[in-house]
Amino acid sequence: MIRCENLHVTFNHGLPTEKLALRGVDLTIPSGEFVTVIGSNGAGKSTLLNTIAGDIESTRGKILFSDRDVTNLPATKRTKDIARVFQDPLAGTCGNLTVEENMALAYGRGKRSNLSLALNDNLRKIFKEQLSRLNLGLENRLGAEMGLLSGGQRQSVSLLMSALQPSSILLLDEHTAALDPKTAALIMDISSQIIEEKQLTVMMVTHSMRQALDHGSRTIMLHEGKIIFDLSGDQRAGYEVKDLLQLFAQARNDGEELDDDKLLLGE
Amino acid sequence: MSLYAFLGTLEIGFIYGLVAMGVYLTFRILDFPDLTVDGSFTLGAAVTATLIVIGYNPYLATLLGTLAAACAGIVTAWLNLRFNILHLLASILTMTALYTINLRVMGKPNVALIMEPTMLTPFEALGIPAMYMKVIFVAFCAVIGGLLVAWFLNTQYGLAMRAVGSNKRMAQANGIVVNEKVYVGLALSNGLVGLAGALFAQTNGFADSTMGIGTIVVGLAAVIIGESLFSTRSILVIVMSCIIGSILYRVAVSMALNADFLGFQASDLNLLTAVLVALALVFPKLRREWKAKKAKGERV
Repeated sequence: MIRCENLHVTFNHGLPTEKLALRGVDLTIPSGEFVTVIGSNGAGKSTLLNTIAGDIESTRGKILFSDRDVTNLPATKRTKDIARVFQDPLAGTCGNLTVEENMALAYGRGKRSNLSLALNDNLRKIFKEQLSRLNLGLENRLGAEMGLLSGGQRQSVSLLMSALQPSSILLLDEHTAALDPKTAALIMDISSQIIEEKQLTVMMVTHSMRQALDHGSRTIMLHEGKIIFDLSGDQRAGYEVKDLLQLFAQARNDGEELDDDKLLLGE
Repeated sequence: MSLYAFLGTLEIGFIYGLVAMGVYLTFRILDFPDLTVDGSFTLGAAVTATLIVIGYNPYLATLLGTLAAACAGIVTAWLNLRFNILHLLASILTMTALYTINLRVMGKPNVALIMEPTMLTPFEALGIPAMYMKVIFVAFCAVIGGLLVAWFLNTQYGLAMRAVGSNKRMAQANGIVVNEKVYVGLALSNGLVGLAGALFAQTNGFADSTMGIGTIVVGLAAVIIGESLFSTRSILVIVMSCIIGSILYRVAVSMALNADFLGFQASDLNLLTAVLVALALVFPKLRREWKAKKAKGERV
């Protein structure tokens, strides 16, 4: 379970460029729930994910994983619970290490590395098995340099890597956005398989309204650092892409009106 | 080249093979260009030589010299990680400070070890002529060092270190503590270089405050020559190619200096070094360009 209590994040605090990225996010995601996160650019979607992962420190508020306060835990210590896939296919893997070396790194996620050899035949067998799920022929290219693979292939491997170690939470930050439609569909398929198989608690940021409604069981929309709506159950089942778009437009208009009011009051 | 000169070349080549491995760890593995080595090479030599002169066991003295050099690497890492000083600049600061520290350690610009016991003393009883013995001894040190470095880089910890140099964000997302790996990497790298300094002092019979100048360039040259000879993914081959690169570099330099028709003098060494390194750096790029041109030509 993930719980965010009154989460605030401010960038460049006290400077003219100060930005309130998150402004009091309250969110509880029960174990095993798959939440899709939408919102316009700069709404705070990625900030929310990065704050939960520990890359960004919150200025105020609390983050809990199953009632354990992790607010002050550094990102590396949270990796025992969290697996991530990034938007940039190059970000999730090391280009100048081989496929098997990358997988060995992910296999050790959340564990202390020691001085035993990083690779052995047993591990290679596991990696081969996992890679064959992709049907990309990568199971025969364990020793290939990651940088030689295409973006789609790298993202597929990143996804497999995120599931090599048991974790309870999976954070997907627009992980199909940089891919062609066919590869994106493949990646989404494998994601769903893995999520179901491992009963993961998932947050998936996406720009595709279709994806947001088709996957998971709940959708939240962020706007200017706040959750402005939270859809689940029957209400969500009745929603179509155009309804979401309408909400989007509404949010934007509300925001602008608000800004205008502020200007008036400021006078 | 006389046999004697050739053995001397080999000896220096093996010693700088250790330097090259250290440079490989920072430049290639951690992506942290570290110029500290110019100072830590001398520091290793200075500490070892000074301790030997005041009566320490040469092996213990070498160990302490190596550790001192490793500490220099930690200082550079600390300046960079704790205070965000650019890595190159941080290492230049440490290197500059080390010049004074080395003079203080020795108490004078150089220490002679001619009549002192060294790591080689126990082997004198074997009856092998000293000039061969030295080469065998440093070759042994370099190869063992190379095996250890290659093994280390293939362990879980070593792989984590390679990930840090390759993609910090990915490393972090997989639970790797980035800073710790940089500290350990710089300590190891400078430790290797310090060990090379200690060996150099003992085989050549002196430590001198200026002996470290240009260490980084020589180390880098060896790494690049090694890389351009073997294109491989095997860490063991890459590490061993550092030694081979170092020896080839020495051979090239001494041939250039010894070729009478070229008219070089010993004092031309630094210019030669710079030109050789520049060639080694340019060559792989030119080769790619030629290949690309050729491929283009064939298509048309």
